[in-house]
Amino acid sequence: MKASEFAKLVPGCCGGVLDSMYFTTIMETSHPKELAEAAEGKETAIGAEEYAFSLSFKGDICGRFGLHMGAAAGRGLAANFLGEDEADLSVSDIGEVAGELANMLCGAVVSKVEGKSKFVLSHPEAMQALPVLSGADALVSRFETDGGTVTTWVVVEGDA
Amino acid sequence: MAFNILIVDDSPAMRRVVKRVVDLSGLDVGNYLEAGDGLQALTVLRAEWVDLVLTDINMPEMDGEELLLEVRKDENLKSIPVLVVSTDQTEARIAQMLALGADGYISKPFAPAALSEELHRLLGGVPDESF
Repeated sequence: MKASEFAKLVPGCCGGVLDSMYFTTIMETSHPKELAEAAEGKETAIGAEEYAFSLSFKGDICGRFGLHMGAAAGRGLAANFLGEDEADLSVSDIGEVAGELANMLCGAVVSKVEGKSKFVLSHPEAMQALPVLSGADALVSRFETDGGTVTTWVVVEGDA
Repeated sequence: MAFNILIVDDSPAMRRVVKRVVDLSGLDVGNYLEAGDGLQALTVLRAEWVDLVLTDINMPEMDGEELLLEVRKDENLKSIPVLVVSTDQTEARIAQMLALGADGYISKPFAPAALSEELHRLLGGVPDESF
């Protein structure tokens, strides 16, 4: 399965997760060719108040799923998810919610792909830099939500 | 009667959300107990009275599947209801966990009302209609 085939699944799955547990609506979806405006193929460092997590999935299809969002989106989504005021949230709180969001988005997408097969997800890991992604094995999705921009990517590493 | 509820998830954020939903469900909760993986959960279960276990599947050290197997083969623990709360929405996983002895399965993302209904089904009582 090629990453591009995930394009039909990712927006619906992500929209469902964001709507049901983060009370956030996707207003526009795009699939940019690059994850970031990487300079000459170099990784892009994560900013001070940005959040990026990735995790692997292993089943009939294997690969990695990633999530990146800025400070405003992170704070708003965390407040909605936890049911607490934005002002009361620490950077650590927001990071924990971002990691769980990556986990839930990945689980929702991979469940659709695997259908009747089981799969295993790794623990979400905080990233220090956005990877350089290109080619048919990567799909980048950018969601403009009412709380800010959320970017996801899927990299297919092969079939089991 | 106040229930002691054990929430097992490697995500502290998800444990907070589950606790909040249980709070809003109208159940009379005595103590919330928490664990970040199956091994920690077994330690809690062998030390504290627990009326219900809510567990994730994908966790480090010991996952939810192994935790369920350990609970079901332990004479002192096997009667405790176990509700699985997982991102894995596949038919295969749901069927497997129910076959292994789980008393219910909620897929993440979940509607708070769905979790509340399951809690009341397993522990008795009527769900809070505010959901």
